[in-house]
Amino acid sequence: MIAAKRAASAPWWPAAATLVVSAAALGAALLIPNAFSDPNGVDPNVIRLGAVSLLLLAAAFMSARLAPARPVLLALVAITTSFSLFAGGPQLLQDVLGPRTPPAAAQIFWASLAQLVVTAIVAALSLRLLAAELRPSLRLTHFGIRGATASLIGVALIVGLALALPASLLGREGLQPVAIARDLSWLGPASVLQALSQELQFRGLLMGALERVAPRGWANVAQAAFFGLTHVAVNYQGPVGPFVPVTIAVGLVLGWVVQRTHSLWPAVIIHAAGDIGITVAVVSGLYGF
Amino acid sequence: MRASTGLLLALPLLGAGTALITTTSNAESGGTRGDSPGAWWSQVSLAGTRITALRTEGSHVTVQTGSRQTLQSVDGGRTFSPQPGNPPITSAAQLVSGNQTWKIDPSGAVLRGTARGEMTRDPGSPNLGTGAHLIAAPAALPGVVVAVAADGTVWRRAGDGGWSESLLLLPMSLAQGVPRVTSVTAFTRPLSGAVYLSTDGYSVLVTTDGGDDWIRANPGLPDSVYALSADAAARSVYAGTSDGLWVHRLQMLPAPPAYSDRALALRWMGISLVSVAVAVAALALLIRGIAPGRTGHGSMRT
Repeated sequence: MIAAKRAASAPWWPAAATLVVSAAALGAALLIPNAFSDPNGVDPNVIRLGAVSLLLLAAAFMSARLAPARPVLLALVAITTSFSLFAGGPQLLQDVLGPRTPPAAAQIFWASLAQLVVTAIVAALSLRLLAAELRPSLRLTHFGIRGATASLIGVALIVGLALALPASLLGREGLQPVAIARDLSWLGPASVLQALSQELQFRGLLMGALERVAPRGWANVAQAAFFGLTHVAVNYQGPVGPFVPVTIAVGLVLGWVVQRTHSLWPAVIIHAAGDIGITVAVVSGLYGF
Repeated sequence: MRASTGLLLALPLLGAGTALITTTSNAESGGTRGDSPGAWWSQVSLAGTRITALRTEGSHVTVQTGSRQTLQSVDGGRTFSPQPGNPPITSAAQLVSGNQTWKIDPSGAVLRGTARGEMTRDPGSPNLGTGAHLIAAPAALPGVVVAVAADGTVWRRAGDGGWSESLLLLPMSLAQGVPRVTSVTAFTRPLSGAVYLSTDGYSVLVTTDGGDDWIRANPGLPDSVYALSADAAARSVYAGTSDGLWVHRLQMLPAPPAYSDRALALRWMGISLVSVAVAVAALALLIRGIAPGRTGHGSMRT
C-alpha cells in the first residue's frame, strides 16, 4: 500500500469536527486546571490528556453514531497516552526498580521504547478495527530513491538551518563531550525511537486518517496544526508559545515530504537527525531548554 | 546534554525528549525544595554601564567599568563611589578553595599545591596554552576543577583526577564566531558544587556536577557577561555585564513543588473532574455534530 485513496462516500467534516472538538477538549483539560491548581506539579506527565482521549475513543467504539470519529481518536490516543508513558517512564522505572534503576540516559531509552510500543499497538488496532475505507495509510512499506534523496536533503537542511539561526534562539550553544560520551549510546537510539513514534502518530495515523476523507493538503495542514499545538503540553513552567508556530512549520514540511515521497521513512530520518542534533548540541536551560 | 529524571523537561514531540534538564540532586545550593527564592538573577546597580572586571568580599564590591574607572561599594553593590587613581582589579596569583590550591602558570600548565606548600603540575592535566588564566574549583567537590584553555575550550578535572574536555562552545550563527569565555568562578567554601562560567554572547552557564553537564543559567541577564565573582559570605554570585551589576542568590534549581497527600488528592480530584467534564462536553458536541442522518455517510462501515 503506497498511498491511500480517499473514501469516495465519506464526508470530510466528521473527521475535521472530531479533530477540532477533541483538540479543544484536550486544550481545556490541559489549561483549565491552571486556574485552581498546579497541574504541572500534580500531573507533569499529562495523564489527563490520555484519559480524555481514551474516554472519547471508548464512547466512539460504543456508539455507532461516532464511527466516523474513530480514526482520528485512535491517533489522538496514540499521541497522548504514549507521551504520558514516555514522560513518566523514568519515574516509573525508579519506582519499580529502586536502587537497580539504570542510568538516566538508559531510562529515557526504555521510556522511548515504551512510547513506540504503545504507538505500534494503537497503529495495529487502527488497521484491525477500522473499516477498510477509513484505515490510515502508514506508508511504512515504501522508501525508494525519492525517499533517500528527500532524507539526505532534509538532514542537510536541518543541519544548515540549525547553524544559520542564532544559537541562543535554539539553545544550541555548545557540545559537552563528557556527557555525550556517557549518554549518546542510549540517547541516540532513543531519539530514533521517538522520531519513529511521533511520525507514526502524526504523519501516519493522524494525517493518514484525515487523507482518507479530505484533500491531502488540508490533511497535512490539520495534522501540522495539531502537531504544533501539542507542544503547549510539553513543558513544565507553562506553555511554550514560541515553539508552536515553529513546530507547525516543521510538521507541515514533514507532512509534505511524506506525501511527496509516499513514505514515512524520510520524515523519520529527518526527525531523528533533528532530535540527535538537539541531544548533542543544545545546552539545557533552567526550565528545560 | 543532561539526562535525568528528577524533572522531565523536554521537547519530546519535535525534539527529543533527550535534551533534558534535570537535577538528580536538584541542588545548586543547600536549600530545600519549595524554597521561594525569587528571580534567578536580579540587577543590583549601574544599569547601562559596562562592567569588565569585578571583585567581591562580603559587602565590599569593586568593579571596573568599560571606561576603565574603578568603583567601590561597601553596601553589597547598591551604591558605588570612585576609587582614586582607578587601580586595576587583578586576579589572585593562585586559587585557594577549601584546603586545595590551584594555579595556571604562564605557559598554561595547571599546578596543584602540595601539602608541603609547593606547586607541582597536576598529573594528566592539559596544557591550556599561553595566556590561559581562568580556573575555578568548588570547595564542595574536592578535586574538581574547571579551567579554560587559551583557545576557549573548557576543561574539567573530575574528583578522581582525570581531565576531560567539558564544554566546547559553538558559533553564535553562521555570521558570528564562538563567544569568548570571560570568567569562571565557584564558591571557595563548601556551600555549593556549582561552577559558573560567563561568556560574551551566551551569558552564564552553570554546572552542578563538576563539569559533566552544563545548564544555561541566564534568565534575566544580558548576553554579554564579562566578569563573575562568587561571594561565600553573601551566598551570592555577582556578574559584571554590559548592563551593570547583577546578583544571583544561591537557590534550588527550578523543580515542581512537592505537595502533601491531602493537597495532592484535592488537586487530582479537581483535575479529574475537569477532564471528565470536558470529555463529556466534547462527546455531546460530537454526537450532535456528526451523527448519521445529518449528511449521507450511511455507507461507512462501523
